[in-house]
Amino acid sequence: MIDHDVLVIGAGLAGMRAALAASESGVDVAVISKVHPVRSHSNAAQGGINAALTDRGDPWEDHAFDTIKGSDYLADQNAVEVMCSEAGREVIAMEHMGVIFSRDDEGRLGTRAFGGQRQARTFFVADFTGQALLHVLYEQVLKVGVRTYEEWFVLSLIVEEGQCRGAIVMEIRTGDIHVIRAKAVILATGGLGRVFEPSTNALICTGDGMALAYREGVSLMDMEMVQYHPTTLKSNGALMSEGARGEGAYLINSDGERFMERYAPNMMELASRDVVSRSEQTEILEGRGVDGCVFLDCRHLGEKVINEKLSQISDLARDFANVDMSKQPVPIRPGMHYQMGGIKTDVDGCTSMRGLYAAGETACVSVHGGNRLGANSLLDTLVFGRRSGEHAANFARGVVERALNDGLIDRENRGIQAMMDRAGEGELFGSIRLDMGRTMNERLAVFRDDEGMRDAVSKLTELRNRFDSVAVTDKGKTFNTNLLFTLELGFMLDCAEAIALSGLERKESRGAHFRTDMPERDDKNWLKHILVSRGADGPIIENTPVIITQWEPQERKY
Amino acid sequence: MKYAFYPGCVSRGAAPELYDATVEVCSRLGIELEYDSMSGASCTGAGILQEKNLKLGDTLNARTFALAEKTGLPLMTICSTCQGVMSQANDRLKSDPEYLAEINKSLADEGLEYKGTADPRHLLWVLIEDVGIEKVKSLVVKPMTGFKAAPFYGCYIVRPSSALGFEENPDRQDSLEQVIEAVGAEVVDFPGKTLCCGFPIVMINEKNAVKMVANHTTDAKDLGADAMVTPCPLCHLNLDGYQPQAASMAKRPIDLPILHLPQMLGLAMGINPKDMRLNGHMVSTKKMLTKVAVSP
Amino acid sequence: MEVTLSVKRFDPDSDQHSSYNQDYVVEMEESATVLDGLIKVREEVDGTLALRCSCRSAICGSCAMRVNGQARLACNTKLVDIVDSGKVVVEPAGNMEVVKDLVVDFSPFWDKVRDVKPWLDPEGPDPDPDQEYLASNEAMLDLAGVMACIMCGACVSDCTVLEVDPNFLGPAALAKAYRFVADPRDSDDEPRLSDLNEYGGMWDCTRCMQCVEVCPKGVDPMGRIMSLRDKAMATGYTSTYGARHSMAFTNGVRQEGRVDELSLPVLSKGVFNIVEQIKMIPLGIRAQLAGKRPPILPHKNPGQENVRRIFNRLDKHDNSPDRLEIPTAIIGLASPVVLTFVAIIAFLILQFYWNSESVSGLKPDAYQSGSVEPFTRFSYFHNCFWFYCDPETSGSELVVNSNAEAER
Ligand SMILES: Cc1cc2nc3c(=O)[nH]c(=O)nc-3n(C[C@H](O)[C@H](O)[C@H](O)COP(=O)(O)OP(=O)(O)OC[C@H]3O[C@@H](n4cnc5c(N)ncnc54)[C@H](O)[C@@H]3O)c2cc1C
Ligand code: SF4
Ligand code: SF4
Ligand code: FES
Repeated sequence: MIDHDVLVIGAGLAGMRAALAASESGVDVAVISKVHPVRSHSNAAQGGINAALTDRGDPWEDHAFDTIKGSDYLADQNAVEVMCSEAGREVIAMEHMGVIFSRDDEGRLGTRAFGGQRQARTFFVADFTGQALLHVLYEQVLKVGVRTYEEWFVLSLIVEEGQCRGAIVMEIRTGDIHVIRAKAVILATGGLGRVFEPSTNALICTGDGMALAYREGVSLMDMEMVQYHPTTLKSNGALMSEGARGEGAYLINSDGERFMERYAPNMMELASRDVVSRSEQTEILEGRGVDGCVFLDCRHLGEKVINEKLSQISDLARDFANVDMSKQPVPIRPGMHYQMGGIKTDVDGCTSMRGLYAAGETACVSVHGGNRLGANSLLDTLVFGRRSGEHAANFARGVVERALNDGLIDRENRGIQAMMDRAGEGELFGSIRLDMGRTMNERLAVFRDDEGMRDAVSKLTELRNRFDSVAVTDKGKTFNTNLLFTLELGFMLDCAEAIALSGLERKESRGAHFRTDMPERDDKNWLKHILVSRGADGPIIENTPVIITQWEPQERKY
Repeated sequence: MKYAFYPGCVSRGAAPELYDATVEVCSRLGIELEYDSMSGASCTGAGILQEKNLKLGDTLNARTFALAEKTGLPLMTICSTCQGVMSQANDRLKSDPEYLAEINKSLADEGLEYKGTADPRHLLWVLIEDVGIEKVKSLVVKPMTGFKAAPFYGCYIVRPSSALGFEENPDRQDSLEQVIEAVGAEVVDFPGKTLCCGFPIVMINEKNAVKMVANHTTDAKDLGADAMVTPCPLCHLNLDGYQPQAASMAKRPIDLPILHLPQMLGLAMGINPKDMRLNGHMVSTKKMLTKVAVSP
Repeated sequence: MEVTLSVKRFDPDSDQHSSYNQDYVVEMEESATVLDGLIKVREEVDGTLALRCSCRSAICGSCAMRVNGQARLACNTKLVDIVDSGKVVVEPAGNMEVVKDLVVDFSPFWDKVRDVKPWLDPEGPDPDPDQEYLASNEAMLDLAGVMACIMCGACVSDCTVLEVDPNFLGPAALAKAYRFVADPRDSDDEPRLSDLNEYGGMWDCTRCMQCVEVCPKGVDPMGRIMSLRDKAMATGYTSTYGARHSMAFTNGVRQEGRVDELSLPVLSKGVFNIVEQIKMIPLGIRAQLAGKRPPILPHKNPGQENVRRIFNRLDKHDNSPDRLEIPTAIIGLASPVVLTFVAIIAFLILQFYWNSESVSGLKPDAYQSGSVEPFTRFSYFHNCFWFYCDPETSGSELVVNSNAEAER
């Protein structure tokens, strides 16, 4: 058995930031990740990270207001205040650790404009901000000597008497199963994009953390809030960063018209994402698209801007859409991108279970509410990663180690063996995943309605039955990815269920949750979060009010 | 066909046989070489000088290009390393007019200016692109039938591909194989043919350099090669000169002659091996010569 | 489009521990990548195929493998661009041990990255939490070029030196090291450069360009290694074989317009590095016998004064045109044979005067590094000689040393 004070599950930005903070508090910390830390999905973040630097004439309250308005007033305002007021120092701390932010002429940090915000307050590193942050955090984790378990996969949490005591894990390289005992556990496993097909998310974004918590009866919140990003490539769902629009790119329809004029005359292309995605989808549905797409037009930006600031997305356009961005507009469409909801936590990362914390995309503090602003997610991971690391370290100091049940490994082994032993001729996991992804992308996308969501729920039940007989074809122990994908599919089905149930529950339109059968926002009845958890007899759905501090809900116009 | 000839340092230093063979072969191919106007051209820097001072390297090469421009003739090299270093320099100079202007300032002292029209090409490419492979074939009087030759390019004539005009001239990528086949020999394809011979570090980490020699020569030998052919005199120096060490490292005899590209051509064209100093190699070429049925 | 993916497979759990090629025929769209093909195989044809992949957009660095013999990211390699008569050959990345199928063991890769102390070590007291370090955007852009590295290992897979010497730090780790040496915020340059000067470090690269060619992110690892060398020499680390070789080479071009093959080895090894000089004798003799005799007398190119003028103008290490100059050819003249004779006598005299400890610095494989460290008497003598016979380079070296002294 392996022992640590704090066990961080996930080595993305949230996880490594948490580990660093916990380690600085002087406890023994370990990070476990199913891929090498620098392969985590955080590196895909291209655009940047938001922070209002008050001493440079951008009060953090403005950032908070933009965030809350962006969330369609579903965000908890106390949490948004924490995030926005701590943002500046968080970004500067990253700079001190070594991040190479783009600079202005005076050698200070430079910013770019991002959607849904009235100020250019997005700090960036060319168009690989996430990668730059992630690699630097990994460097820092090496520097302080935090133990990292790379390519270890968490199978389940250890919960005894309502308190989280560690995790059961599999070493992917050998297939061996281990118990890691810990006084506090932080889930930082990132998003669940692969529940949808297509998605901008990496193949590893399978919602493991949300499902792990859900299975133990921990509450998930705002799960119906799924963000569709306005600019994704058709061929493979890859994301064209909002940074492009931040630099001044246009959205045009098949007539060459900048159609955002009609939907958001002030903010135009930089309105919040739910608004832009809906506008695009409307254009496409009304026949002003081409081949299911509208266009991102960067031609007027010139080669210099494209090469220096948007090099990565111009590579993507060239490689996957066969388009030279400086000469042609790129066909794009809305695509599933981000899960606003997740494991419900407070501002210190505490979940509804003692000893269990969550941070990053897998958590829902709720700072994003019904719609996340671009470049707020990286900020969320860092601020709440750090806070949960600090809190977990303190908590761990007060926990007395105790002996765990024997037989934990056996239990897990039996479960896996059962999957391996199923007759080889059953269905492959791939087709189930595809059916799930397509169902979700059809029924829980930009436009939703009651009938569609009901259909999704029943389809998911059917898929779960099929899953129960799925065959693991690779019977080996070493690096058995086939087994991993099957386990991940199990996690994803749980997440899909939580999303569909929460969506059915919310009987209004708010943020990313737009119901064609109920197109109005209804503050009187629905200014509240939906919680879902799994009880002994199936899912339990509850509500909790939104926390309002200084900003009363208003009509939302861009 | 006349070319401004840039022989490089090594063919006038430690590999004089390359120079002699080139002169012989070119006269048969109907290639005229302009020496005098190019005799003041300096070393390309071989990538070593560039280590310390890229701009200095680019200036020296721009000077060579300017000298060639003055002759009004196309520029020809016979060394993979020279070729690569020149191509890279030319790529930088041509793609950035401001940089070129800056560099030209240093050339102005001796009344030179590089206008950006030079296109340095190795004899190997000239064979394919100007002479034509059919013409080469037609000049073969002693077809090397049954002779197995392993091509060895040398790094700089294959990388970085972006600077070497492979897109416009795809033939360049297998030019050596084409020439080997044109003289009637058989190509021995082996994994090391585009890898490094180790020469650049032979003074720095001899063990690694010799190990590379051992790997390449034994691989080719095991695949039945009678000789290795290279358009790069530096590769020749290492693969030939350090082969005895390589043999003792590999604990086996190797004895694989390393031919310069024009030497192989010359043999097929019936040029006397002595005139191409085939007796001037470290690894004896005697046995190999009997195989191509010319007396050593 | 129908494509045959010929995948090199290896299953450590099976009885026969050898690899084999397996062909999969898949129907793919025109825009599909190699990775799309492999995923299709793994999801629909053969679930046992193991590979790493995640982002599908060339940013996570998981999917480097050899495609048609060259290291690439499977996710940004389009099938149409590389199919050769309907077939694509996929193998695991090179220079790393295969774990299973296309999955290789990256632990040595990460160990080497860790070896270069890959974290910022800023100077002075803790910075103000509300103020960033000031730095020019230009410096940051140069660094961003290295930070673009996704640690995919494609360069390591195809590096020719790693193929013969697993001890070499390799392109990715060295590029990472450069990122800190070049970071204006980092204060640790000298120790970093000193470490990188050692065996397996910056001087072991052959400049073969494989890493430049295969890097999917334009990091130019070799260029970074060359910059490290330049920085090391400029900082005063001039007595490694590599630095001497580089300086002697450049000096040769400066003096004669071309390489002097006789003096170069002598100067690279160090004129008084007797053991190495002796080791060169057999080669020298063989070369003589084979008739490989580079011209012994100085062979200056015509019009060489023009080349010198360019050097004087541009060579930052050399701007005093009227210094003492002894043609390198004279050193070359003292070909190894003559030199050894002299050296043996010198050696005997030295033995007599100096204790054996100072001579131990001459161990054949010793990488002499750190001329900024106190000289042993012997190396001091050697440096003086170097100074005498090669005013340009060693002159700057001595100056650098005294500067370094003055700065302390
Ligand atoms: C294409 C794209 C672009 C984006 N651009 C931006 C942007 O510009 N600005 C912005 O603010 N946000 C952006 N986002 C969102 C943002 O990148 C993510 O929300 C954020 O990085 C999530 O970080 P994380 O630390 O929570 O999780 P991740 O970085 O996803 O890390 C999850 C970690 O958990 C580990 N893990 C998961 N499951 C297991 C398991 N079972 N066992 C062990 N380990 C496990 C993984 O290995 C990984 O290390 C973007 C997202 C995408 C998809
Ligand atoms: S240039 Fe150097 S580091 Fe790059 S592949 Fe070649 S030997 Fe390796
Ligand atoms: S330098 Fe290039 S090839 Fe090497 S690891 Fe980095 S991105 Fe990959
Ligand atoms: S899958 Fe991430 S780099 Fe290829």
